[in-house]
Amino acid sequence: MRQVLEGSHAVSEAVRLARVEVMSAYPITPQTHIVEALSEFCADGSMNARFLCVESEHSAMAAVIGASSAGARTFTATSSQGLALMHELLHWASGARLPIVMAEVNRALAPGWNIWMDQTDSLAQRDTGWIQLYCEDGQDVLDTTLQAFRLAELTNLPVMVVLDAFFLSHTYEPVDVPDQASVDRFLPAGPPRACLNASEPFAIGQMAPPGVYMEMRHDIQQGMSAVPGCFDRVENDFETIFGRKYGPLETVECHDADIILVMAGTAVSTCRQVVSDLRHQGEKAGLVKLKMFRPFPIEQIRQAFGRAKKIAVVDRNVSFGIGGIFAQEIRAALCNTAEKPPVYSYITGLGGRDVTPEMLAEIYWTTKNSPSPSDESIWVGLNKELGRS
Amino acid sequence: MTFVDCDANATTSLFLSRSSISTEGNKTGSWRFVRPVYQNKTAPCSAACPAGADIGRIEMLVAQGQFRAAWESLLMENPFPAVCGRVCFHPCEEACNRSNFDESIGIHRVERWLGDHAIREKFLFPLKTRNTNGKRIAIAGAGPAGLSAAYFLARLGYDCDVFESSGEPGGILRWGIPAYRLPASVLNQEISRILELGVTLHCDTPVDDAFLAEAGDRYQAIFVGCGHSRSMPLNIPGTELAGDGLNFLYRVRNHEIDSVRGRIGVIGGGNTAIDVARTLIRLGAEVLLIYRRRRQDMPAFSHEVEMAVAEGIELLELAAPIHIESSGERFGVTLQRMKPGEQQLSGRCQVVPDGQKTKTIHVDQVFMAIGAEAEDIWAPPASSQENVLRLSHCTVVQGRSPIIFGGDLTNPVQSVTDAIASGKEAAMAIDLIITESVEDIPGTLESCRVGKGPALSMDAFLMGERRNRSSRLVNYTDLNTDYFQNLEAASPPALSPAQARKSFDEIDGTFSARQAMDEAGRCFNCGICNGCDNCRLFCPELAVTLEDDRTINLDYCKGCGVCVQECPRSAMALEEERS
Repeated sequence: MRQVLEGSHAVSEAVRLARVEVMSAYPITPQTHIVEALSEFCADGSMNARFLCVESEHSAMAAVIGASSAGARTFTATSSQGLALMHELLHWASGARLPIVMAEVNRALAPGWNIWMDQTDSLAQRDTGWIQLYCEDGQDVLDTTLQAFRLAELTNLPVMVVLDAFFLSHTYEPVDVPDQASVDRFLPAGPPRACLNASEPFAIGQMAPPGVYMEMRHDIQQGMSAVPGCFDRVENDFETIFGRKYGPLETVECHDADIILVMAGTAVSTCRQVVSDLRHQGEKAGLVKLKMFRPFPIEQIRQAFGRAKKIAVVDRNVSFGIGGIFAQEIRAALCNTAEKPPVYSYITGLGGRDVTPEMLAEIYWTTKNSPSPSDESIWVGLNKELGRS
Repeated sequence: MTFVDCDANATTSLFLSRSSISTEGNKTGSWRFVRPVYQNKTAPCSAACPAGADIGRIEMLVAQGQFRAAWESLLMENPFPAVCGRVCFHPCEEACNRSNFDESIGIHRVERWLGDHAIREKFLFPLKTRNTNGKRIAIAGAGPAGLSAAYFLARLGYDCDVFESSGEPGGILRWGIPAYRLPASVLNQEISRILELGVTLHCDTPVDDAFLAEAGDRYQAIFVGCGHSRSMPLNIPGTELAGDGLNFLYRVRNHEIDSVRGRIGVIGGGNTAIDVARTLIRLGAEVLLIYRRRRQDMPAFSHEVEMAVAEGIELLELAAPIHIESSGERFGVTLQRMKPGEQQLSGRCQVVPDGQKTKTIHVDQVFMAIGAEAEDIWAPPASSQENVLRLSHCTVVQGRSPIIFGGDLTNPVQSVTDAIASGKEAAMAIDLIITESVEDIPGTLESCRVGKGPALSMDAFLMGERRNRSSRLVNYTDLNTDYFQNLEAASPPALSPAQARKSFDEIDGTFSARQAMDEAGRCFNCGICNGCDNCRLFCPELAVTLEDDRTINLDYCKGCGVCVQECPRSAMALEEERS
């Protein structure tokens, strides 16, 4: 049934439909609306789940790790500083192969304090062994959250569903909320593959000496390598039931594009319009929406960019000392291929600054008019009157 | 340790560290350098109670509905629960840690309810008494001190003869405290319980120094608790024209007076003056209370002063009587106007005459209630004498048969509960003199102290659980108040001042059982384990086991201290391991 929902509540609805059994979270703007709604679902009985109130995000993750180890379907949500505080336990969740799902609302890190959209918080967790899926709009985030549980349970890897602060988390859009029976068909409750069992006790997560640790890490990497294939299976099932499919990345007008713009999150929607406008002007522009960041869908990237002359990557994040993070990953994915288009790196829209159609058009024209990319990322939209810009 | 790759048919492999070997082999207790111990400590209320009642435990038992056990605990230390619940000035409530949180527990109200409940339900006397040992003790005075001494001595196996000069036992409780604060029926019930232990009461039998001289032939020890029965005189011209307030109260309780008309002056600012004034109001008089200092300097309990004023007593402050004269049927009282002086005397304001300002008021009668003292013959000997041992609530004079002076004669604070404390201390001292020696008294009493204060525990004397309780007082900061919620204290029904002044009916009502349980349930039970189970639930090593009792398995306790931290009431402690 179509409903007008806030992005946060699209996540909450998906979690309710997923029949999550244990949730734990610590409030942080702009994530709070998600768990606020969930706590109300627990209170009004529309969810049969335990909501554990804790004193920090570290404890929230610890609580869902415990519950997931015991076989419960679990969920948590956080943002920014809260995600940073979870860091240690993010490694634990993946190392223990626990199918935890977390909503991560992209928010800038302090100082200075900033509650607005910025991708650096989630990208800084890229090496923790979590699957990361970025969302564009309310429908995308509801669907991705449902898919995340299937994917997590199929691969025994935790999944981070990432959505933009405010642009998505606090924006109301019409969203098709599926019925419970359909969701139950897509996402059946199954016995977890590995969990504690009181009648047959064993201990987990003990010492792993040099003779086995490396094999365990390799096993996780193999799990990650299997994710794109698993995701495809999950999406096919999803499409059968709900008629929607996203893919690890989506290409728009890329078949004959000379210049392809690449980005993740809500800016994709803006860019769809920009690309359409450019096409009307006769420009051979294309767009790649990055949905899956971990594992990085190298094969699909190579396929999408093979024919392009130039790639322009729009990063709403920064790795100080090197530049935009998506751009680095894309360069790495392309560098060993024969036809490797040059990758232009742009940083914009940090800390909640709007990414306008004009800025995206400017990025396109700059890319077109520059014979080769600069070594450093180009910062777009800086106010010349502030700082030494 | 084994590594298990489960479900080969699954999409991805799972290579996890997993072991079915018991972790019992990993004795994490070897990491420990501090160990948690269950250690009941002393609640500040019980240390502040002159009778040393085990309040934290009593409240716990009442909250749990274990009324008989609660009553037993109360009777262990105090023969007068229903009386003390009414008349004690409850220093326990001032010491209550909960006052730092929201509001003190209404300890006296719970005590009163428990005392009344036991009377109403006709609870049998629950405490074990020692078999009679044939030793006889004489007790002079059947007031709270003498009756308490008899109560504790009877429990210790002694045959007690109590000698009372008036026609009925109770002393100040019967003659000094008006019925609206303590109905005679309540007093009679509690005294009966004492007498039923085998105490022999001889009323209308005053004793004197001649009695003391010859009592040694018949008794192994003599307790003297004759109280402050003589009113102090006011040394001004015409003092003989003023009535004696204490005597007035006695005659009212003895049904000799049932009506007083006209305007009556009452001189004094203590509890007796207030009792006289409020009694007069009830008998139909118009009352003027005359006090030389200010209202806030009155030694009377402020609550009593408030009630007196609410009932319509006129209060004349900073007015010192200097002369009383009779003029026909009436009396003229000349008052010197006083003003606060510069010196402060022990919290009270010193007053000095305010120039020559005097005035004379005319009243139909005037009563004095400026304090009471002992009859001369009962003055205890100076503690500097070699054969005299001064204790906190009594004075022991050694001789052929030791004489113990107690109650108001020796107490630093003259209150009913201090009198009970005195009777208890005397009983312990007498038992020690007879079964051990006088030299054992200080050491043994020290080990029976509640906290480090003067109060003594009979339970500790009888080698009960309190003997081993830590004397450390639990402070508010020792508590983990995260586990407590703000709860309003309950109030029992009470007569309005307008209703109250019309009769001698008791003003304050008693709790319902539900109210008593709720109020007792507010108690933090400072230092007393109430079985909340936090220690067990929070132990990350599952090292706390619960069978009949909780025990800590030291093979696995790492000494992390979580149990101690999560104990809401400081009933645990961490001790350093001795290497």
